[in-house]
Amino acid sequence: MKVRIKFSKTGVIKFIGHLDLMRFFQKAFRRTDIKVRYSGGFSPHMIMSFAQALGVGVESKGEYFDVELEDGQDITDLVEELNRQMVEGIEVISYKVLPEKTTNAMASVAAASYEIDFYKGNPFSENTIEAYDAAPELLYTKTTKSGENTFNIKDSVFAIGYMDKGVSFTIDASSAGNIKPRYLLETLAGIEGIDLSKHPYHVMRMDLLLRKEDGTLAPLDDIDEQDSSSQA
Amino acid sequence: MKELALSEDILMSVEKPERYIGHEFNSVVKDPDKVDVRFVMCFPDVYEIGMSHLGIQILYDMFNSFEDTWCERVYSPWPDLDKVMREKNIPLFGLESQEPVKNADFLGITIQYEMCYTNILQILDLSHIPFYSKDRTWDDPIVVGGGPCTYNPEPLADFFDFFYIGEGETRYREILDIYKEMRKKNASREEFLHAVATVPGMYVPSLMDVIYNEDGTVKEFRNHYPDMPKKVLKEIVRDLDNTYYPKKPVVPFIRVTQDRITLEIQRGCIRGCRFCQAGEIYRPVRERGVDYLLGMAETILKNTGHEEITLSSLSSSDYSHLDELLKGLIDMCNDKKVNIALPSLRIDQFSLDVMNKIQDVKKSSLTFAPEAGSQRMRDIINKGLTEEDIIEGSRMAFEGGWTKVKLYFMLGQPFEQEEDIRGIAELANLIAATFYDTVPKEKRVNGKVNITVSTSFFVPKPFTAFQWAAQDTPEAFIDKAEHTKHYIASQLNQKVIKYNWHEADVSMLEGVLARGDRKLSKLLLNVYKKGSIFDAWSEFFIYKNWLDAFEEEGIDPNFYTTRERSEDEIFPWDFLDCGVGKAFLLREWRNAKAGIVNPNCRDKCSNCGSARFDCGICINR
Repeated sequence: MKVRIKFSKTGVIKFIGHLDLMRFFQKAFRRTDIKVRYSGGFSPHMIMSFAQALGVGVESKGEYFDVELEDGQDITDLVEELNRQMVEGIEVISYKVLPEKTTNAMASVAAASYEIDFYKGNPFSENTIEAYDAAPELLYTKTTKSGENTFNIKDSVFAIGYMDKGVSFTIDASSAGNIKPRYLLETLAGIEGIDLSKHPYHVMRMDLLLRKEDGTLAPLDDIDEQDSSSQA
Repeated sequence: MKELALSEDILMSVEKPERYIGHEFNSVVKDPDKVDVRFVMCFPDVYEIGMSHLGIQILYDMFNSFEDTWCERVYSPWPDLDKVMREKNIPLFGLESQEPVKNADFLGITIQYEMCYTNILQILDLSHIPFYSKDRTWDDPIVVGGGPCTYNPEPLADFFDFFYIGEGETRYREILDIYKEMRKKNASREEFLHAVATVPGMYVPSLMDVIYNEDGTVKEFRNHYPDMPKKVLKEIVRDLDNTYYPKKPVVPFIRVTQDRITLEIQRGCIRGCRFCQAGEIYRPVRERGVDYLLGMAETILKNTGHEEITLSSLSSSDYSHLDELLKGLIDMCNDKKVNIALPSLRIDQFSLDVMNKIQDVKKSSLTFAPEAGSQRMRDIINKGLTEEDIIEGSRMAFEGGWTKVKLYFMLGQPFEQEEDIRGIAELANLIAATFYDTVPKEKRVNGKVNITVSTSFFVPKPFTAFQWAAQDTPEAFIDKAEHTKHYIASQLNQKVIKYNWHEADVSMLEGVLARGDRKLSKLLLNVYKKGSIFDAWSEFFIYKNWLDAFEEEGIDPNFYTTRERSEDEIFPWDFLDCGVGKAFLLREWRNAKAGIVNPNCRDKCSNCGSARFDCGICINR
């Protein structure tokens, strides 16, 4: 059975890189009695895929990976069992048994929501957000290895809001159109005419989102659950 | 959650911040208010190397099993962080508490190789602990050293408060108790160290004077107190099935050098190769039982989730129940999808069968360590490996489908002749020829065999038969490497033989430090102050710093390296006793000169002196 696991990665654990986090979960599973399915071949590995890599230094309250478990085992206590193998800063929040033909976690990601806290006071105000909303388009130029690319950043922002300590927003995180939180923050700084590098901030990814058939965004595990007891 | 010692800015600016944040699974955090002793254990090299060391894992587990003690870890900050810590005056910290090392009661440093000596000074410096033992007060931790290099601790003597000679499992409890008692009654540091000096295995350099002859050799050793032992005898664990073993080793986030479970199957070696220090100082051979090892393997797999397990010992092929152990391990590991990494075993039908069972079809290379090219030379060094063994092993391996062979040799061993150097090339050629004789043309994968010859330069070590020997100069080393290269190039099968050799400069320095005396402490401090750290890493090693320091301190390296010692010379390490007696080593030195082979411990006891420990192979041959 295929299971989607939601976890958080906060505090000092934000310094752990993506590959090391994957290794951490593989070893954690091996410490439990949960039976994970392995690939065939001469160096079998766990069939496990992460929704999206989280940059070193970024915290998150909503990360996901899919893992294939052997059928016929009782996984009612999966969250508790895994949490016994976690370290401070990594917590398994929930799991969902996925229907047979669910798109894998990585391909499902449409958007990501963030909260940005500024350490030394919020350089933005509600007016910043109003000005953002009022602008018909806001061009952002991204420099890549292959040259410069200018686009309307508003096409990639699905929601934006003001908070006391900073801003919150939901932006495109799909493989085709993803943007970095920094792009939007630089755009907002442009509106205010300030230098973003003078305002250190903290990034918390709040959740990863998929797009439902009706076009709305929902958490990556908002999927009609397969009844796991029928497989047990 | 603990505040980290380093700010986010710093951690985001250095390579692999995971080296410095602690928090690994199985790392031990205790309430500082509920312990009496804080111990920081240090491996003076980068995290990935230090975390791979079994000895530290054993001691970490042992200390933390004491209710009154909290043991943390610290490793050498990589040069990028080293620079930041100096600029910002950030004190070095223990990984678990993230608190300054200086606040600990003890700083224990394992000393595994000579080229880490400047890193020891880096650790002290970054911790804001005075370099010299004599300058420390109760505001500083007690700095204790252990590990193989303490079998000649003299170049480091001034920097350490005491050295623990031998295996760490036996005496630390006693030392911690003395410490607690002495601190309670407000004893001075010297009073504490005096008490330590009466505990078996402990050497307190500040309580022993060394008197030198005019020629610079040692005249005598003088203890400050009559209750100190004349010679410090090493400590050993007599029964390896009844001692500490880390059932829950720390599981690092990042991939470390030994990213696997290390199962130590035995200590010591029966062989007695005359160049090998480990073969003498870890005597006598003591084996762990198969049931103990299999039980331990199962427990540690469960507690770590590691995917791989490896066996550790000086010569695993000599473990008397290897067959049974491997059978048990293979059964257990197939079940759990755990890989078994085999240490280099003697190549014979048994080991080839085992490798066939546990390794995938991509056959990795086979390793032989003849150490010398000719039989004459192998007899001199007492390496019980014959040309026939090597050729027969190769033949079996080639029949089994292997096509890559690695050969390790040493250049510059005592009594070496041109013909011995030529022998290296001839042996490699003979192995290549064996491949072509054994494997018919149509069965040759990629058509040919690959042979890699590597030579290192011989460095005489204390407590070996070769402790009297002269070491070659770096120029002579390079000359010999050139000759080796030439001889290989003139072999019929030269096209399939690749040749690597090591740097000669480092071998010279190792030679100085290995057989050095207390006069070298100022050299080390001088080199460190020139900015040398991570000398074991070629990208950071600056030879010129060392040459300049020799010059400035008026120290002639040749006094320590190229000088053959007379049989009656008192060595700087002669106040230590590793169990193997000097009389035995001298006998072996004379045997080497005469080319006489000495049997291994299993075949015949040679009365080396280790029988006094009354354990292992000495009582159960």
